[in-house]
Amino acid sequence: MTPEARSPAGSLRTGVVQAVLSEIALLLENLAATGQAGAIDLRSLPLTEADRAELEDHLGRGEVEARLAVAGASEVWETAYAGVWWIRHREAEGEIASETIAVTRVPEILMAHPADITAAAVRLQEILTPRRESAIGEETGNG
Amino acid sequence: MAEGQTLGELLTRHGISRRALLKYATYVASMMALPPAASTAMAEALAKARRQSVIWLSFQECTGCTESLTRSFNPTLENLIFNLISLDYHHTLQAASGTAAEAARLTAMKENAGKYLLVVDGSVSLAEDGAYSTIAGVTNLQMLKETAEGALAVISVGTCAAFGGIPHAKPNPTGAVPVSEVITDKPIINISGCPPIAEAMAGTLAYLIAFGKPPELDHLNRPKAFFGESIHDRCYRRPFYERGMFAKSFDDEGARQGWCLYELGCKGPVTYNACATLKWNGGVSDMPALAVLSPISGTRAVSIGLCLRQWAPRARGSAVPRSQVRRWVRQVRLCCVPAKKAARERNNHGFA
Repeated sequence: MTPEARSPAGSLRTGVVQAVLSEIALLLENLAATGQAGAIDLRSLPLTEADRAELEDHLGRGEVEARLAVAGASEVWETAYAGVWWIRHREAEGEIASETIAVTRVPEILMAHPADITAAAVRLQEILTPRRESAIGEETGNG
Repeated sequence: MAEGQTLGELLTRHGISRRALLKYATYVASMMALPPAASTAMAEALAKARRQSVIWLSFQECTGCTESLTRSFNPTLENLIFNLISLDYHHTLQAASGTAAEAARLTAMKENAGKYLLVVDGSVSLAEDGAYSTIAGVTNLQMLKETAEGALAVISVGTCAAFGGIPHAKPNPTGAVPVSEVITDKPIINISGCPPIAEAMAGTLAYLIAFGKPPELDHLNRPKAFFGESIHDRCYRRPFYERGMFAKSFDDEGARQGWCLYELGCKGPVTYNACATLKWNGGVSDMPALAVLSPISGTRAVSIGLCLRQWAPRARGSAVPRSQVRRWVRQVRLCCVPAKKAARERNNHGFA
């Protein structure tokens, strides 16, 4: 639990949410018109716990939710507005490390990186190679 | 690490995915108030960078700076920095000791001449030619000069290395000075605090490795990303300040309700650091330590306040006993400027 949540100050609504929603609307219009992605770093904003809850209520939940196990847990969900994603990265102990609203078709963290794909292909080949050699050995009667 | 291997290749070999690197970069970019899109650029830059050689020298210090970095609450994210650097010398952490330890420092200096980063915690003794503080028979002064000569840049971590800290206080029998008074021909980055925030140290290192240059610095050579805003600006009690709701004593109803402590002498408005956003003790550190910051100057507020905060119970949900807080307040007041002077300072800053 954060200090904000424990304190009465955390229950205050500061009015920042309306400004954040306006910014999201602009980014979404831009995405629709140009395909250019955008993002808002929620940690950089003076949001109280009540503000955060209000923003989450306004944006709602959409069709996609994903949980990641990457250096601690992460949660990604599409809000009720297509193309508006909420990305919450957590530390090992569950505290929020970073929180971003990404306005994009698919958040980058969900996509496999080419370097990881290459490494995965090599790993898979390493698993298959002994089996193939073993299979060849059995066919020639050497197995 | 194989010669020529990039950090991306190294991380892949260790089973750390690019997603983890992107998450780390997102975390660092958020901490440093970089545009959210910068995280992708930072992740790619880190992946292409070589592992950075770092030599860490500890002089007149208490090891709190090292404790802050290594005992962070976020082992999976914050400690990723240790995959990005090669900590070639740190006499507290390294396994080698004695002659072998010093040989490691000299080897790293030779092999990475002009490219290694020098991190210093602790002030440097000048009195009696530095004889008050030596390591392996070498004075801190001599070791600093010879190690800084081939360094790419110097990072002074902690208030002692950055500004002299407690050893620099009168009567200063050891002639303690900050690093910047000894080294004048290298870029110096000050990450002050007692101790400095782990994220500020790790974030600055990650930025240097990724972009090959220091982050933007303020007039005291501190990264603006971490020292650009006052604690007051981002304090969770700030909404009460805006509404004119102030606690009148440390234990009145207002204080319990989380009202602003400004009228009790909180120096948050003139203390520039990121503790209000990054916080301490795994992000659960509360404001009693700020309350203790009563009538002291901003620079000292950072130093002494964070010392006290470090001593606060780390167990989640535990509270500092009120009697302990009162003892701290008395102790701090003994070494602080008079309350009238503090009030004058507040007025000068336009916060009356």
